[in-house]
Amino acid sequence: MSSEESRMKSEIESHALELLVPIDQYLAAGVHIGTYVCNKAMREFVYRIRPDGLYVLDVRKIDERLRIAAKMISRYEPDKIVAVSVRQYGHQSVKKFSQYVRSKSITGRVIPGILTNPHLEYYMEPELVVVTDPRADQQIITEAFRIGIPVVSFSDTDNRIDGIDLIIPANNKGRRSLALLYWILTRQVLRERGELMPNADLPEPPDAFETRIGGKA
Amino acid sequence: MPAMQNAYPSTKLSVHDTVKTRTCTSCKKTISPDEKPVIFLCPNCGKVEIIRCNMCRKQGVKYVCPVCGFVGP
Repeated sequence: MSSEESRMKSEIESHALELLVPIDQYLAAGVHIGTYVCNKAMREFVYRIRPDGLYVLDVRKIDERLRIAAKMISRYEPDKIVAVSVRQYGHQSVKKFSQYVRSKSITGRVIPGILTNPHLEYYMEPELVVVTDPRADQQIITEAFRIGIPVVSFSDTDNRIDGIDLIIPANNKGRRSLALLYWILTRQVLRERGELMPNADLPEPPDAFETRIGGKA
Repeated sequence: MPAMQNAYPSTKLSVHDTVKTRTCTSCKKTISPDEKPVIFLCPNCGKVEIIRCNMCRKQGVKYVCPVCGFVGP
Protein backbone atom coordinates (compact mmCIF):
# COMPACT_ATOMS: atom_id res chain seq x y z
CA MET A 1 0.00 0.00 0.00
CA SER A 2 1.44 3.36 -1.01
CA SER A 3 1.79 6.30 1.35
CA GLU A 4 -1.24 8.21 0.09
CA GLU A 5 -3.40 5.11 0.31
CA SER A 6 -2.43 4.53 3.93
CA ARG A 7 -2.95 8.22 4.67
CA MET A 8 -6.40 8.18 3.08
CA LYS A 9 -7.26 5.04 5.04
CA SER A 10 -6.14 6.53 8.34
CA GLU A 11 -8.09 9.74 7.67
CA ILE A 12 -11.26 7.81 6.94
CA GLU A 13 -10.79 5.63 10.00
CA SER A 14 -10.07 8.62 12.23
CA HIS A 15 -13.25 10.40 11.11
CA ALA A 16 -15.22 7.14 11.53
CA LEU A 17 -16.75 7.54 8.09
CA GLU A 18 -18.94 4.70 6.99
CA LEU A 19 -18.34 3.76 3.39
CA LEU A 20 -20.45 1.50 1.23
CA VAL A 21 -17.69 -1.10 1.18
CA PRO A 22 -14.53 -1.26 3.32
CA ILE A 23 -11.79 1.13 2.27
CA ASP A 24 -9.44 -1.81 1.63
CA GLN A 25 -11.82 -3.17 -0.98
CA TYR A 26 -11.93 0.18 -2.74
CA LEU A 27 -8.16 0.46 -2.74
CA ALA A 28 -7.61 -3.15 -3.83
CA ALA A 29 -9.86 -2.62 -6.87
CA GLY A 30 -8.04 0.61 -7.68
CA VAL A 31 -11.13 2.80 -7.99
CA HIS A 32 -9.08 5.77 -6.78
CA ILE A 33 -6.39 5.57 -9.46
CA GLY A 34 -6.73 8.46 -11.88
CA THR A 35 -4.60 9.36 -14.87
CA TYR A 36 -1.67 11.68 -15.62
CA VAL A 37 -4.08 14.26 -17.08
CA CYS A 38 -6.68 16.18 -15.12
CA ASN A 39 -9.47 18.44 -16.33
CA LYS A 40 -10.48 21.49 -14.40
CA ALA A 41 -13.96 20.11 -13.72
CA MET A 42 -12.53 16.91 -12.26
CA ARG A 43 -10.01 18.66 -10.02
CA GLU A 44 -12.48 18.92 -7.14
CA PHE A 45 -12.55 15.12 -6.87
CA VAL A 46 -8.74 14.74 -6.71
CA TYR A 47 -7.22 13.79 -3.39
CA ARG A 48 -3.58 14.46 -4.28
CA ILE A 49 -1.04 14.25 -7.05
CA ARG A 50 1.69 11.65 -6.81
CA PRO A 51 5.31 12.78 -7.34
CA ASP A 52 5.27 11.10 -10.75
CA GLY A 53 2.24 13.19 -11.79
CA LEU A 54 -0.52 10.63 -11.31
CA TYR A 55 -3.77 12.06 -10.00
CA VAL A 56 -5.38 10.13 -7.17
CA LEU A 57 -9.14 10.41 -6.62
CA ASP A 58 -10.73 10.86 -3.22
CA VAL A 59 -12.49 7.68 -2.12
CA ARG A 60 -14.91 9.60 0.12
CA LYS A 61 -16.16 11.61 -2.85
CA ILE A 62 -16.49 8.46 -4.96
CA ASP A 63 -18.54 6.88 -2.18
CA GLU A 64 -20.72 9.97 -1.76
CA ARG A 65 -21.40 10.24 -5.48
CA LEU A 66 -22.27 6.55 -5.73
CA ARG A 67 -24.92 7.05 -3.07
CA ILE A 68 -26.32 10.11 -4.84
CA ALA A 69 -26.33 8.37 -8.23
CA ALA A 70 -28.15 5.40 -6.72
CA LYS A 71 -30.79 7.73 -5.28
CA MET A 72 -31.24 9.33 -8.68
CA ILE A 73 -31.43 6.03 -10.57
CA SER A 74 -33.92 4.58 -8.10
CA ARG A 75 -36.40 7.39 -8.87
CA TYR A 76 -36.83 6.23 -12.47
CA GLU A 77 -38.84 3.32 -13.80
CA PRO A 78 -36.49 0.35 -14.32
CA ASP A 79 -37.34 -0.07 -17.99
CA LYS A 80 -36.73 3.64 -18.62
CA ILE A 81 -33.05 3.35 -17.71
CA VAL A 82 -30.35 2.34 -20.14
CA ALA A 83 -26.79 1.45 -19.16
CA VAL A 84 -24.12 1.74 -21.82
CA SER A 85 -20.60 0.45 -22.24
CA VAL A 86 -18.78 0.48 -25.52
CA ARG A 87 -15.52 -0.61 -23.89
CA GLN A 88 -15.11 -4.32 -23.42
CA TYR A 89 -14.14 -4.13 -19.76
CA GLY A 90 -17.58 -2.77 -18.91
CA HIS A 91 -19.67 -5.32 -20.81
CA GLN A 92 -20.20 -7.82 -18.04
CA SER A 93 -20.67 -5.10 -15.43
CA VAL A 94 -23.36 -3.38 -17.48
CA LYS A 95 -25.13 -6.66 -18.24
CA LYS A 96 -25.20 -7.62 -14.56
CA PHE A 97 -26.33 -4.15 -13.57
CA SER A 98 -29.20 -4.36 -16.06
CA GLN A 99 -30.10 -7.83 -14.90
CA TYR A 100 -30.47 -6.81 -11.27
CA VAL A 101 -31.92 -3.34 -11.82
CA ARG A 102 -34.15 -4.63 -14.69
CA SER A 103 -33.00 -1.87 -16.99
CA LYS A 104 -31.95 -1.93 -20.64
CA SER A 105 -28.32 -2.25 -21.62
CA ILE A 106 -26.18 -1.47 -24.62
CA THR A 107 -22.85 -3.23 -24.87
CA GLY A 108 -20.57 -2.77 -27.80
CA ARG A 109 -21.16 -0.32 -30.58
CA VAL A 110 -23.95 2.21 -30.16
CA ILE A 111 -25.96 2.39 -33.37
CA PRO A 112 -26.35 6.05 -34.33
CA GLY A 113 -29.96 7.14 -34.04
CA ILE A 114 -30.82 4.63 -31.35
CA LEU A 115 -32.40 7.43 -29.29
CA THR A 116 -33.26 9.85 -32.06
CA ASN A 117 -34.46 7.87 -35.11
CA PRO A 118 -37.88 6.21 -34.58
CA HIS A 119 -37.55 4.25 -37.84
CA LEU A 120 -34.72 2.14 -36.48
CA GLU A 121 -35.35 -1.37 -35.31
CA TYR A 122 -33.36 -0.76 -32.12
CA TYR A 123 -34.99 2.58 -31.33
CA MET A 124 -35.66 3.16 -27.63
CA GLU A 125 -36.95 6.02 -25.53
CA PRO A 126 -35.24 5.90 -22.14
CA GLU A 127 -35.47 8.62 -19.51
CA LEU A 128 -32.02 8.16 -17.98
CA VAL A 129 -28.69 7.05 -19.40
CA VAL A 130 -25.88 5.52 -17.32
CA VAL A 131 -22.55 5.78 -19.08
CA THR A 132 -19.30 3.94 -18.35
CA ASP A 133 -16.75 6.07 -20.17
CA PRO A 134 -17.70 9.46 -21.66
CA ARG A 135 -14.92 9.24 -24.23
CA ALA A 136 -15.91 5.86 -25.64
CA ASP A 137 -19.64 6.44 -25.18
CA GLN A 138 -19.69 9.81 -26.89
CA GLN A 139 -22.43 8.76 -29.34
CA ILE A 140 -25.03 8.01 -26.67
CA ILE A 141 -24.15 11.20 -24.78
CA THR A 142 -24.65 13.25 -27.95
CA GLU A 143 -28.03 11.65 -28.60
CA ALA A 144 -29.14 12.06 -24.99
CA PHE A 145 -28.08 15.69 -25.22
CA ARG A 146 -30.19 16.16 -28.34
CA ILE A 147 -33.38 14.67 -26.92
CA GLY A 148 -32.87 16.19 -23.46
CA ILE A 149 -32.54 13.27 -21.09
CA PRO A 150 -30.19 13.21 -18.08
CA VAL A 151 -26.87 11.37 -18.22
CA VAL A 152 -25.12 9.79 -15.23
CA SER A 153 -21.52 8.91 -15.97
CA PHE A 154 -18.43 7.40 -14.42
CA SER A 155 -15.68 9.90 -15.16
CA ASP A 156 -11.95 9.65 -14.73
CA THR A 157 -9.70 12.65 -14.24
CA ASP A 158 -9.08 13.01 -17.99
CA ASN A 159 -12.71 12.81 -19.14
CA ARG A 160 -14.65 15.74 -20.51
CA ILE A 161 -17.88 16.48 -18.68
CA ASP A 162 -19.90 18.12 -21.44
CA GLY A 163 -23.40 16.71 -21.67
CA ILE A 164 -23.14 14.93 -18.32
CA ASP A 165 -25.59 15.77 -15.55
CA LEU A 166 -24.14 13.71 -12.72
CA ILE A 167 -20.51 12.68 -12.45
CA ILE A 168 -19.35 9.67 -10.49
CA PRO A 169 -15.60 10.21 -10.22
CA ALA A 170 -13.82 6.87 -10.49
CA ASN A 171 -11.29 4.84 -12.36
CA ASN A 172 -13.29 3.73 -15.41
CA LYS A 173 -10.34 2.06 -17.13
CA GLY A 174 -9.76 -0.94 -14.88
CA ARG A 175 -11.68 -4.17 -15.09
CA ARG A 176 -11.81 -4.77 -11.37
CA SER A 177 -12.58 -1.15 -10.69
CA LEU A 178 -15.59 -1.14 -13.04
CA ALA A 179 -16.80 -4.42 -11.59
CA LEU A 180 -16.73 -3.08 -8.04
CA LEU A 181 -18.28 0.26 -8.98
CA TYR A 182 -21.21 -1.33 -10.80
CA TRP A 183 -21.64 -3.87 -8.03
CA ILE A 184 -21.90 -1.10 -5.42
CA LEU A 185 -24.20 0.96 -7.62
CA THR A 186 -26.49 -2.01 -8.25
CA ARG A 187 -26.67 -2.90 -4.58
CA GLN A 188 -27.33 0.68 -3.57
CA VAL A 189 -30.07 1.13 -6.18
CA LEU A 190 -31.82 -2.00 -4.91
CA ARG A 191 -31.47 -0.78 -1.34
CA GLU A 192 -32.93 2.60 -2.26
CA ARG A 193 -35.86 0.92 -3.98
CA GLY A 194 -36.45 -1.28 -0.95
CA GLU A 195 -35.88 -4.50 -2.87
CA LEU A 196 -32.87 -5.26 -0.72
CA MET A 197 -32.56 -4.86 3.04
CA PRO A 198 -30.37 -1.92 4.13
CA ASN A 199 -27.55 -4.22 5.23
CA ALA A 200 -28.09 -7.00 2.72
CA ASP A 201 -25.71 -7.81 -0.11
CA LEU A 202 -26.26 -9.01 -3.65
CA PRO A 203 -26.31 -12.80 -4.13
CA GLU A 204 -23.17 -12.53 -6.27
CA PRO A 205 -19.80 -11.07 -5.31
CA PRO A 206 -18.17 -8.18 -7.24
CA ASP A 207 -16.10 -10.74 -9.17
CA ALA A 208 -19.24 -11.79 -11.03
CA PHE A 209 -19.44 -8.29 -12.49
CA GLU A 210 -15.94 -8.56 -13.89
CA THR A 211 -15.46 -9.07 -17.61
CA ARG A 212 -13.42 -12.18 -18.38
CA ILE A 213 -11.49 -12.05 -21.60
CA GLY A 214 -10.06 -15.21 -23.12
CA GLY A 215 -11.19 -17.36 -20.23
CA LYS A 216 -8.92 -15.51 -17.78
CA ALA A 217 -10.12 -13.78 -14.65
CA MET B 1 -72.85 49.92 -38.51
CA PRO B 2 -71.86 47.57 -35.63
CA ALA B 3 -68.26 47.52 -34.56
CA MET B 4 -66.24 44.60 -35.94
CA GLN B 5 -65.53 41.89 -33.43
CA ASN B 6 -62.56 39.65 -33.40
CA ALA B 7 -63.60 36.15 -34.48
CA TYR B 8 -60.52 34.59 -32.87
CA PRO B 9 -60.16 36.05 -29.38
CA SER B 10 -57.56 33.45 -28.42
CA THR B 11 -55.10 35.02 -30.85
CA LYS B 12 -54.94 38.01 -28.55
CA LEU B 13 -53.17 35.98 -25.88
CA SER B 14 -49.56 36.83 -25.44
CA VAL B 15 -46.79 34.28 -25.85
CA HIS B 16 -46.17 34.31 -22.12
CA ASP B 17 -49.74 33.20 -21.42
CA THR B 18 -49.55 30.19 -23.71
CA VAL B 19 -45.95 29.04 -23.30
CA LYS B 20 -44.57 28.07 -19.94
CA THR B 21 -41.24 29.78 -19.59
CA ARG B 22 -38.39 27.90 -17.99
CA THR B 23 -35.28 29.26 -16.38
CA CYS B 24 -31.92 27.53 -16.37
CA THR B 25 -30.81 26.60 -12.86
CA SER B 26 -27.16 27.30 -13.72
CA CYS B 27 -27.19 30.55 -15.69
CA LYS B 28 -30.68 31.82 -14.67
CA LYS B 29 -31.51 32.70 -18.26
CA THR B 30 -34.92 32.06 -19.78
CA ILE B 31 -34.88 29.02 -22.03
CA SER B 32 -36.36 29.50 -25.46
CA PRO B 33 -39.41 27.29 -26.24
CA ASP B 34 -37.69 25.66 -29.21
CA GLU B 35 -34.73 24.56 -27.10
CA LYS B 36 -34.79 21.17 -25.43
CA PRO B 37 -33.33 21.49 -21.95
CA VAL B 38 -32.75 18.60 -19.62
CA ILE B 39 -35.08 18.44 -16.64
CA PHE B 40 -34.54 16.12 -13.71
CA LEU B 41 -35.17 16.05 -10.00
CA CYS B 42 -32.23 16.99 -7.78
CA PRO B 43 -30.08 13.85 -7.57
CA ASN B 44 -29.58 14.29 -3.84
CA CYS B 45 -32.92 15.36 -2.36
CA GLY B 46 -35.31 14.80 -5.27
CA LYS B 47 -37.50 17.71 -4.20
CA VAL B 48 -36.68 20.31 -6.83
CA GLU B 49 -36.55 20.15 -10.60
CA ILE B 50 -33.14 21.03 -11.98
CA ILE B 51 -33.34 22.57 -15.45
CA ARG B 52 -30.19 22.93 -17.52
CA CYS B 53 -30.07 24.75 -20.84
CA ASN B 54 -28.10 23.31 -23.73
CA MET B 55 -25.26 25.77 -23.37
CA CYS B 56 -24.71 25.11 -19.67
CA ARG B 57 -24.90 21.40 -20.33
CA LYS B 58 -22.38 21.63 -23.12
CA GLN B 59 -19.98 23.73 -21.08
CA GLY B 60 -20.41 21.72 -17.90
CA VAL B 61 -21.56 24.72 -15.86
CA LYS B 62 -22.27 23.83 -12.25
CA TYR B 63 -25.79 23.79 -10.85
CA VAL B 64 -26.80 24.16 -7.22
CA CYS B 65 -29.93 22.68 -5.70
CA PRO B 66 -31.85 25.48 -3.94
CA VAL B 67 -33.12 23.09 -1.24
CA CYS B 68 -30.23 20.83 -0.27
CA GLY B 69 -27.32 22.77 -1.74
CA PHE B 70 -26.04 19.89 -3.82
CA VAL B 71 -23.55 21.08 -6.41
CA GLY B 72 -23.44 19.23 -9.70
CA PRO B 73 -22.69 17.83 -12.20
